[in-house]
Amino acid sequence: MKPGRRMSPKARRTILCWLVLSPLVVAVLFPFAVMFITAIKPPTEVLRPTWWPSEVRLENFVTMWKATNFGTALMNSIYVAVLSTLISLIVSIPAAYAMSRLRFTGRGYFQQFLLVSQMLSPIVLVIGLFRLVVALKLLDNVNSVVAVYAAFNIAFSVWMLQSYFSTIPRDLEEAAWMEGASSWQALVRVFLPLALPAMVVTAIFSFINAWNEFVIALTMLRRQESYTLPIQVFSLVAGRYTVEWHHVMAAAFVATIPVAVVFAWLQRYLVRGLALGAVK
Amino acid sequence: MNRSFLTNPYVLVAPGFFLAAFIILWPLLQLGQISLSEVNRFGQLKGFAGLENYVAVFTDPQFLSALARTGIWTFGIVAGTIILSVPVALVLNEDFYGRGLARIIVMLPWAVSLTMTAIVWRWALNGESGMLNSALRGLGLIDQNVQWLAQAATAFPVQIVIGILVSIPFTVTIFLGGLSSIPDDLYEAAKLEGASNWQMFSRITLPLLGPFLNIAVVMNTINVFNSFPIIWATTQGGPANSTDILVTYLYKLGFNFGKLGEASALSLMMFALLLLFTIIYVRLAMRGERA
Amino acid sequence: MSFNWLKTAFVGSVAAIALAGNAYADTVRVTVAEYSSKTGPYFEKVASEFEAANPGSDIQIEVVPWDVLQQKLTTDISGGANADLAIIGTRWLIDYVQQGVAAPLDEYMNDEFKGRFIETFLSPSVMDGKTYGLPIAASARAMYYNKELFEKAGITQPPANWDELKAAAQKIKALGGDVYGFGLQGKEIETDVYFYYAFWSQGGNLIDKDGTSGLDSEAAYKAAELYKSLIDEGLTEPGVTSLNREDVQNLFKQGRVGMMITAPFLAAQIKEEAPNLKYGVAAIPAGPNGDRGTYGVTDSIIMFENSQNKETAWKFLDYLFTTDKREEFTAGEGFLPVNKEEATRPVFAENADLKAFTDLLPNARFAPVIPGWEEIAAVTSNAIQKIYLGQGEIKPTLDAAAAEIDGIIAKNK
Repeated sequence: MKPGRRMSPKARRTILCWLVLSPLVVAVLFPFAVMFITAIKPPTEVLRPTWWPSEVRLENFVTMWKATNFGTALMNSIYVAVLSTLISLIVSIPAAYAMSRLRFTGRGYFQQFLLVSQMLSPIVLVIGLFRLVVALKLLDNVNSVVAVYAAFNIAFSVWMLQSYFSTIPRDLEEAAWMEGASSWQALVRVFLPLALPAMVVTAIFSFINAWNEFVIALTMLRRQESYTLPIQVFSLVAGRYTVEWHHVMAAAFVATIPVAVVFAWLQRYLVRGLALGAVK
Repeated sequence: MNRSFLTNPYVLVAPGFFLAAFIILWPLLQLGQISLSEVNRFGQLKGFAGLENYVAVFTDPQFLSALARTGIWTFGIVAGTIILSVPVALVLNEDFYGRGLARIIVMLPWAVSLTMTAIVWRWALNGESGMLNSALRGLGLIDQNVQWLAQAATAFPVQIVIGILVSIPFTVTIFLGGLSSIPDDLYEAAKLEGASNWQMFSRITLPLLGPFLNIAVVMNTINVFNSFPIIWATTQGGPANSTDILVTYLYKLGFNFGKLGEASALSLMMFALLLLFTIIYVRLAMRGERA
Repeated sequence: MSFNWLKTAFVGSVAAIALAGNAYADTVRVTVAEYSSKTGPYFEKVASEFEAANPGSDIQIEVVPWDVLQQKLTTDISGGANADLAIIGTRWLIDYVQQGVAAPLDEYMNDEFKGRFIETFLSPSVMDGKTYGLPIAASARAMYYNKELFEKAGITQPPANWDELKAAAQKIKALGGDVYGFGLQGKEIETDVYFYYAFWSQGGNLIDKDGTSGLDSEAAYKAAELYKSLIDEGLTEPGVTSLNREDVQNLFKQGRVGMMITAPFLAAQIKEEAPNLKYGVAAIPAGPNGDRGTYGVTDSIIMFENSQNKETAWKFLDYLFTTDKREEFTAGEGFLPVNKEEATRPVFAENADLKAFTDLLPNARFAPVIPGWEEIAAVTSNAIQKIYLGQGEIKPTLDAAAAEIDGIIAKNK
């Protein structure tokens, strides 16, 4: 065999890896294929389970955008996801810092409280949450959803950040103190930049949770102008006497794109931020 | 060390604590109150009921079968997810062409709201107009349409498989983080000593992945136990309640039948169950680590 | 530029808070069930027309998907944050009345207003002599049949009774291919109702005179035997327990089902989605003694007892129930007219499909007015799903369901 025709080890590994992954890749892409193909079918063909439509109707996306009030819902979703992520990060970073760097009484209780707060699903709590939001006069206000998402994300964010923070050597901050920086300055100038990957991962997790959340948004938001994407898409299917599946699928498909882009963009952080972080 | 006000631990912890406590504990107290009350279908309290609501839930045969099914559901999805996610994470940790793309594909289910995924699957699983049957027929794997959702015998396994598919991204991400935290020199040293791949996996990778595994088990269990959309969108717990788990049973109890007192009692019982599981698991996992 | 939306959102939410704080006197919130993509726009339009005609009034429409309407109303009322007006299923009304949530409307209604309605549709909203809701949507069920399949199979008349239906289904099955004789719904909302069509035609009653369930009767056994035999002989579509109403309707639109029983709105859908389908609408088949029953169903719009703006809310109701507004809504959604004058409009009067439905109205039966009906319906659906699946013998399964229903009735007394 000529040496030139032999595969490099990496090429061989590539084939093997993709081979192993292929069943999962097929299973994962299947619903997306269903979504996409249904979305581009002419309305009269939607009910026929053919894989290839007689013609490609990309204008379905345009009609969907108008028919489903997609733009408003997209803006609401972005607003809710970004703001709730920011809030939960802002309150979680100091808490995580305290948990990883400082010893104080009540530390253990706080940790247990966080774990316990993870166990309540919104469905379980929805009536109580609703009463809270009503008492605060925040009903039908997207900010009520922001606050609830932020609160539900705190536990996970603190836990993620804390485990990563613990892996950042103390020496670096101590060195900064030696040079006369206050503990606050050391925190901001030395510590936080090092913690960036973890913050990015935590932000991604929070963002995804907020982006996809359903039950709370459904309960708290009442007018179409305040709907987020999952609610908007759901309202196209839930109990209407006829369902325009091509619109539903087009909307679902477009709604996934922003998150997929975020994944692609921040992918290297996703693993790096989780690494090192001993989860003990 | 010059401790300023801003690095006082209580000051640092306070905002997070109060936000979470306020938004999570307040509703929990409400729930406790409703569960001990006589309550009409609109959640208006009509007097003290003692443990009546709890007894009513316990004596409902639906509760017991939903409880058992929740056990199968949770165990099936969590075990399936972990078993599949370990090799997937190992592969994605290798260096190969298109790894970035592969990682994005594996993460993709995460990018879709679970409600949407469930709706798409319901559409795909439709016996006559569903694209799953038409795909399987096209591949020659079946020659008659399978009515996936017509009976629990096919519906429930399919629901578990969907559950596994949507749990993989989170789990793989956690494992990838774990894998990249294992220092390379450990493997190099093992190779020098002539260890086989399997030995390296079972002696180095798996033990060091331990804490990540535990986290994946606990987090997935919590999520799956409380997971509502997959079953609700595909079968609503039917036919004849044969795919009901506790959450769907809870939803019917509270919102379809208007028994908010019983629903609140059930909510708290579910919470207690999860708590119990987590405590036991954490204890066991810790003992395992010490041994 | 790129942050403009953020600013808008902030300003918007601040405005929303301000609005909630000092909502001015004439704000009326209306919770509306979403029947189709037309529902929201229709109500928004009517609201703005009303606002223009009544300066100072502000009608806020909240469109809720039907599947979560009950959940939303429950949480709303439990939190004391319900709207002023809401559409509800009339079968839920008794709970609203018993708990004092719904306000009686009689003091606002004069004879002219009352006279607008077709009696059959208004009466389900009347309890203890008081009117608690107005029928905003009404429908009944009739049998659709595919004329092309009938012709191919050599069937000349739509079946008048269940024996003929079975014979017709056999002929359609004999055509071969992937067409099915009778579309049988076995999943989700109205699974029980689909069973009642056969049950009623056998002379059955959902609630017997003594106030107990009628499921443990000969009529119920016979009806279940009939459906089960249709399933076992392959005269229905396969996997009936995986098809809800929309799924069966979709098969019908594709021309793959010979007959099915459903509501008038299927005709409206066929016009848009499958304009080439040749179909007819006929009466629901009769039983051996000529009994037959169709399911009459109305949704009511109610006024909440705790509403602060009952006067304006009523004015809006009055406006909603004028003939032109009704016609636009009813025709758009494919319901039956509830106003007498509305029914005389050409859209309805000259519609042959609709005639099959209105002809059946004397046989219309509504969901019994007893508390806990949703739970009873669920017990019934579960029992017949078991029978369809062959997981339970007919008599014991129905007897057990009847006993469970009796328990529910006794508990709610």
